[in-house]
Amino acid sequence: MDRRTFLKSGIGFSALTGAKVAGVNLLAQYYASANQTGPVPYDLVAIKGGEPDVMFAKGMEALGGLGKYVKKEQKVLVKPNIGWDVGPERAGNTNPKLIEEIVKQCYSAGAKEVVVFDNTCDNWQRSYKNSGIETAVRNAGGKIVPGNTEGYYHPVSVPGAKNLTNAKVHELILESDLFINVPILKSHGSTKLTMSMKNMMGVVWDRREWHKNDLHQCIADFAAYRKPDLNIMDAYYVMKRNGPRGVSEEDVVTMKSMLISSDMVTIDAAGAKLFGIDPNEVRYIQIAEEQKIGRAKLDQLNIKRISL
Amino acid sequence: MVTLRTLRITVASISFILITAIFLDVTNRIPPSWSSAVVSLQFAPALISTIYSLGFAVIGVVFVSILTLLFGRIYCSHLCPLGTLQDIIIWFRKKKYKHRKYPYHPAHYRILYSVTAFSIIAAFSGGAVLLDLLEPFSNYGRILTTLVRPLIILVNNIVALLATSTNRFGIAEIPLNGMNLWNIIIPLSFLFMIIGLTAWRGRLFCNLLCPVGGVLSLLSRISLFKITIQHDACTDCGLCERVCRAQCIDSEKNSVDFAACVGCFDCIGSCPTNGMGYTFKLRSVMTKKEDTDRRTVLMSLSTALLATTGVPNIVDTTKTVSGYSNAKTKPVVPPGGKTQEHFESYCTACHLCVSACPTHVLQPSFLEYGFAGILQPKMDYNVSYCNYDCTICGEICPTGAIQHLQQQEKKSVQLGKVTFVKEDCIVEIKKKDCGACSEHCPTKAVKMVPYEKKLTIPQIENEYCVGCGACEHACPTTPRKAIYVTPNPVHLIAKKREEKRMEPKAATPQEFPF
Repeated sequence: MDRRTFLKSGIGFSALTGAKVAGVNLLAQYYASANQTGPVPYDLVAIKGGEPDVMFAKGMEALGGLGKYVKKEQKVLVKPNIGWDVGPERAGNTNPKLIEEIVKQCYSAGAKEVVVFDNTCDNWQRSYKNSGIETAVRNAGGKIVPGNTEGYYHPVSVPGAKNLTNAKVHELILESDLFINVPILKSHGSTKLTMSMKNMMGVVWDRREWHKNDLHQCIADFAAYRKPDLNIMDAYYVMKRNGPRGVSEEDVVTMKSMLISSDMVTIDAAGAKLFGIDPNEVRYIQIAEEQKIGRAKLDQLNIKRISL
Repeated sequence: MVTLRTLRITVASISFILITAIFLDVTNRIPPSWSSAVVSLQFAPALISTIYSLGFAVIGVVFVSILTLLFGRIYCSHLCPLGTLQDIIIWFRKKKYKHRKYPYHPAHYRILYSVTAFSIIAAFSGGAVLLDLLEPFSNYGRILTTLVRPLIILVNNIVALLATSTNRFGIAEIPLNGMNLWNIIIPLSFLFMIIGLTAWRGRLFCNLLCPVGGVLSLLSRISLFKITIQHDACTDCGLCERVCRAQCIDSEKNSVDFAACVGCFDCIGSCPTNGMGYTFKLRSVMTKKEDTDRRTVLMSLSTALLATTGVPNIVDTTKTVSGYSNAKTKPVVPPGGKTQEHFESYCTACHLCVSACPTHVLQPSFLEYGFAGILQPKMDYNVSYCNYDCTICGEICPTGAIQHLQQQEKKSVQLGKVTFVKEDCIVEIKKKDCGACSEHCPTKAVKMVPYEKKLTIPQIENEYCVGCGACEHACPTTPRKAIYVTPNPVHLIAKKREEKRMEPKAATPQEFPF
């Protein structure tokens, strides 16, 4: 359902501009691969006690391997949080070790190309570099792509949105066959927590619009636009206060945890609990659940828990 | 055999290309330390920096002075980028109008030395505006930053667009900021003036208005090596005068006015009988003409001195913290600028920092600093904000207007303080969460605290504020920002936030909480 909605918007956009044909390719691929993707065994996989790359490998094993998601010759978009000009120990950005492993495994699963970008808050070159993600992506053979100017973003309409009816999204969102969202779990001054749905703010151009028009509602609205095929939440180092940028390493604890789910609402609800906040206290999770974007009632879901 | 002319062309090309490259390095690939080394031999910035403190920059002043005392004003044809720019114009003119030369014309020493003395003495007393507007390096820098750099960015962006459409992302688009008519007018007028003067009378600018030319002209009067016409070899053919770009060879009187000579050495190669000597002369032969020159020097110097004493100091050094209310309307000074008066007195608006700033927060001002600070860079929080860990502007500033701060020191400097206007804030107006300001704050001087209906609203703790402008830049309210930085006329030290380490009990959970 969500993929169809995306396809519609993708094709609509292609028809409008006449420039992007990625949507059409994607449609063909969708029909080719629709029957091969079996039901996902778990709604959520939670892993703790390992290094980021090990936890990711174990988690994907439980889900039947990354090959269940990544098909041969696909263009894969990996979207970490690279918002800030801080190092990995500050937990402001997704752990570079995790990103490196994801990019590697995408290629092992047969991806044609793996692209990585974020619309950063701090200076993009410094954030890409000092987060360690630029090097990680290059080491794994992926492409790190800029998102620093408006030229990379194209207008789309957000179906079913209450407030954020329009947005400009990065062309890689429109072009990629598979979208892997890799947020980091951390505190946030106004939304309490930033996780997978909040991480989607990095694929649009104008974030001020979100802040102006009820941030929580906009986050929930945009969650329906293009649901990631997979969400991998990094909770290895976790910023417990002063988020999202953090002030020093004193804000950070080592949780050595990770969550994986294809449902952003589910993974965000679990992330909130892991952090120690009731998901009902995070308004965008509530709204997203009410708008039926995903499921937040964890007790009704099939969860795989892995301790290493 | 390597002639002096080929040597000059080689050195000038290298110097010109390097300086041009650092200003046009739109992708910021050149390390700041290299840029700093390249511009260290630029005389005016080095001199200004030395006025402030006897630091590394003194090397540039001493080197150029010794060079001139030995060989004359060769700086003007070898190291000065504006000199080379004029030489390029001269070259084109020669191509187009083969027969039009620059015949001998007595130099306008009275004007040159007056301008020189006035601008340098004014700079010493803290008002560098004349020096800013006439000094060659800064003018060349402004021409590149304001007029050429946008074109390079445009080309870069077209290439980036083409590359992106073929799925290559090695070249990123660069935002084009600070395109402002007023900022363009001055460099553009200067460029037109230079083209005009050069087309008309060669290196006239250097012998009429250039303060660096003025200083070096004085020094070259006592230089060891001088170009002279060897009367025994001279056949009065006049070829030397025909190639001279400084109009300083009078072939009728067989004399070279060496104080106006820019050291291009074209005349030496042009002489068919080796009649141009570049020889060791311990003391210049006193001719009647030079005697008049000496009088001109003294007269213009004393006029300038008198004039300067009559001019009120543009920057009053006695006014510091008390000047706060006046200074409020001025822009935020970059980190390392120390105080508004320090920055304004030492900055020559060369715009090297503007072209090197990775976030583009440094933008040229127009008259925001007042007429004396025309075109000096300001922190423009509409365009961007200052990166917390970045120290590049201080590293490359050639005049010491922006002092080089170590990273830890820079992170504690408070450029200004933040003001929050609750009535303009989204949280207050719409009763919805926002927090864009606090998100971006690197020190959490702007904190979100509980407000009505489970909302959070910004709270300011100015002792932690560094004045980087991140909150102001991120604030989504229009047309007025609900949060903004007010400059400190004297930069202060922000308190470092000391917080206890997070309790380790929050570390790896024993059991999953779901």
